[in-house]
Amino acid sequence: MRRLSAAVAAVIVAAFPGVAWPDAPAAAAKTVTLGASLQLTGPDANLARYFRDGYQAAIDRINGQGGITIGGENYRFALKLLDNQSNINLGVQQYTQLITRDKVDFLLGPYSSNHTLDESSIAEKYRVPMVQGGGAARQIFDRGYRYIFGTAPPAENYFGSTVEMMTKLEPRVHTLALLTADDAFDVAVRIGTKALAKQSGVNVVVDQVYPENDPNFTSLLALVKSKSPDAILLGGHETEALNFVREAKALNVNPGDMMALTVGVPSADFRAALGKDAESMFGMTPWVASPVARDRWFGDAQQFAQLFARRFGYEPDYHVASAVADVETFAYALEAAGSLDREQVRDAIAKSDFECIYAPIRYQANGQIDIPQIVIQVQDGKIVPIYTDHFLNKPRYPAPGWGKRN
Amino acid sequence: MLLAQILLNGLLLGGLYGLMALGMALVWGVLNIVNLAHGAFVMLGGYCVYFLFAGLGVDPFAALPAAMLAMFALGYLLQRYVLNLIIRSAQLNTLLITFGLDVVLTYLAQLAFTADFRTINPSYAGANLTVFGLTLPLLRLAAFVAALLLASLLWIVLQRTRLGRAIRATAQNLTAARLYGVDPARLYAVTFGLGAALAGAAGGLYGMVSQVTPYIGATLTAKSFVIAIMGGLENPFGIVLGGIVIGIIEALAAIYIGPTFTDAISFGLLVVILVARPTRSLRSA
Repeated sequence: MRRLSAAVAAVIVAAFPGVAWPDAPAAAAKTVTLGASLQLTGPDANLARYFRDGYQAAIDRINGQGGITIGGENYRFALKLLDNQSNINLGVQQYTQLITRDKVDFLLGPYSSNHTLDESSIAEKYRVPMVQGGGAARQIFDRGYRYIFGTAPPAENYFGSTVEMMTKLEPRVHTLALLTADDAFDVAVRIGTKALAKQSGVNVVVDQVYPENDPNFTSLLALVKSKSPDAILLGGHETEALNFVREAKALNVNPGDMMALTVGVPSADFRAALGKDAESMFGMTPWVASPVARDRWFGDAQQFAQLFARRFGYEPDYHVASAVADVETFAYALEAAGSLDREQVRDAIAKSDFECIYAPIRYQANGQIDIPQIVIQVQDGKIVPIYTDHFLNKPRYPAPGWGKRN
Repeated sequence: MLLAQILLNGLLLGGLYGLMALGMALVWGVLNIVNLAHGAFVMLGGYCVYFLFAGLGVDPFAALPAAMLAMFALGYLLQRYVLNLIIRSAQLNTLLITFGLDVVLTYLAQLAFTADFRTINPSYAGANLTVFGLTLPLLRLAAFVAALLLASLLWIVLQRTRLGRAIRATAQNLTAARLYGVDPARLYAVTFGLGAALAGAAGGLYGMVSQVTPYIGATLTAKSFVIAIMGGLENPFGIVLGGIVIGIIEALAAIYIGPTFTDAISFGLLVVILVARPTRSLRSA
């Protein structure tokens, strides 16, 4: 029987690398439990695993290096994850359960603005600090909440660097088509991008909102084609972006100069699914795995990326990096507060000021960090950083038409 | 020109919708089971074709028959050894069991295949022709033609073969069919298998124009349901026509009413049809 359960355990560990504990905490150390409800199954599971794996990677690394010291005593982190099945109502219940029944000490976030918007209200209600990288919409931070902190940059500004770049490219972009989904994140992207385009003198010739749950772009693409914009910007999640690019190719819709997506381009499986159709596509990321970003536990972002890819079998993207920053925020804040008192830890988080693999972490008064998006482009199957507030590398521009990508 | 392009897009997508609904309508018409796991079958068919294409390098259209065969076997076994146990009980039970199947198949798919996005992306996936200023995406056209071919094939099987006559006889009058020597248990399993095979073909084609994840099933089940009701359950071409109508309505609604209203329009239409022509929505056979 014991052999059987060991075999079952081995199968489970092999199937879910995220639940393996290579650096098991020593029995003597005390524990700080971080709880989160994530989309481990359901339509959002593909993206939410970045948070599951990112949280686990950070916690195991910190524990493996001796944990943290709070008020002179040694502590290890423990992670309590629940599966909300990509259902917001269930997520809200589960955060309540994490606080009231499972008695976790602090909260990490779910994936996506839609989930965070509702589920963070539970953290605020019970005054339990939540640090999350899954919700970027400013709506989350505009409610005067005190206990919610975010490591994703504001959705309104996702296209900030892209629009700025458009005005400096030769030929300059004059007209753009903006297509955004109808969820909280993309609504914020739309509002922000329209304002940015207006400031930069770029004319928005198509501005359409499409449904998140059943994205079929053929009609919108026909409309876009009829307006011949210089650039096409798509705000949406990976599923939608994937359909969009494939349908644009099938209907031979080429922007005059460039096409850019809010999400997708930094994710390895997105690029793999598109193959050479991803070539020359612009995207954005607040993070690249650079050796410049130093980190107390991982050394630097490049070392982190290698370590992570070895363990989880895929390249980390910025979601993973922000999940690590979420855990590290608690590590630094708990040490600074010298106690597990939620009020003191909350104040320490608000004063965070540290370097990590993700970015320099400093929260604004509303709880969200503000870091720039780096414009990236797929060139020969690789992600090349193109622009922050100046050009980093030469863009492939104007992007070649569909038939000429290889 | 914009209008013509939108109509063309809707027409091509609608053909694929029709094929998707074909299997559901067949099972519904003959077994009186509203198969809520139909979308999951479409998803599994998509994975079959994906793995044959990505793993073994088989051309996705050539992989369709293999996927259909695999799905036929799965459908046959599921009906024979699971659904057949409750075939004579209240319809609520069949709804519950197919709903349960949907959940199980979806989560097994995530365990087995992960939630990664998969696309069936052959080199000709983005090929298109320009005809009279309209862009004609060839893969969608091929999917449309395949849908029509399969609907015709189903029609021929139903009208012209012994099996088809047995299926129609069972749908019309079970007792009489039994008296003429039809074995309903076997016939039901074959019919369910055919439904699953059609779903499998639709899944392969869907993966070529869209994407395959474990979670595409639910929306496709809902869409197939609407189309099956609109098209009626007795004629395969009625179903394909229903699919085309929905495809065109969605395409037009996306531009002239707003893309976020497409679902509201197609389900709203369903309500109108149920109110206006209630007999059509029932099993007329």
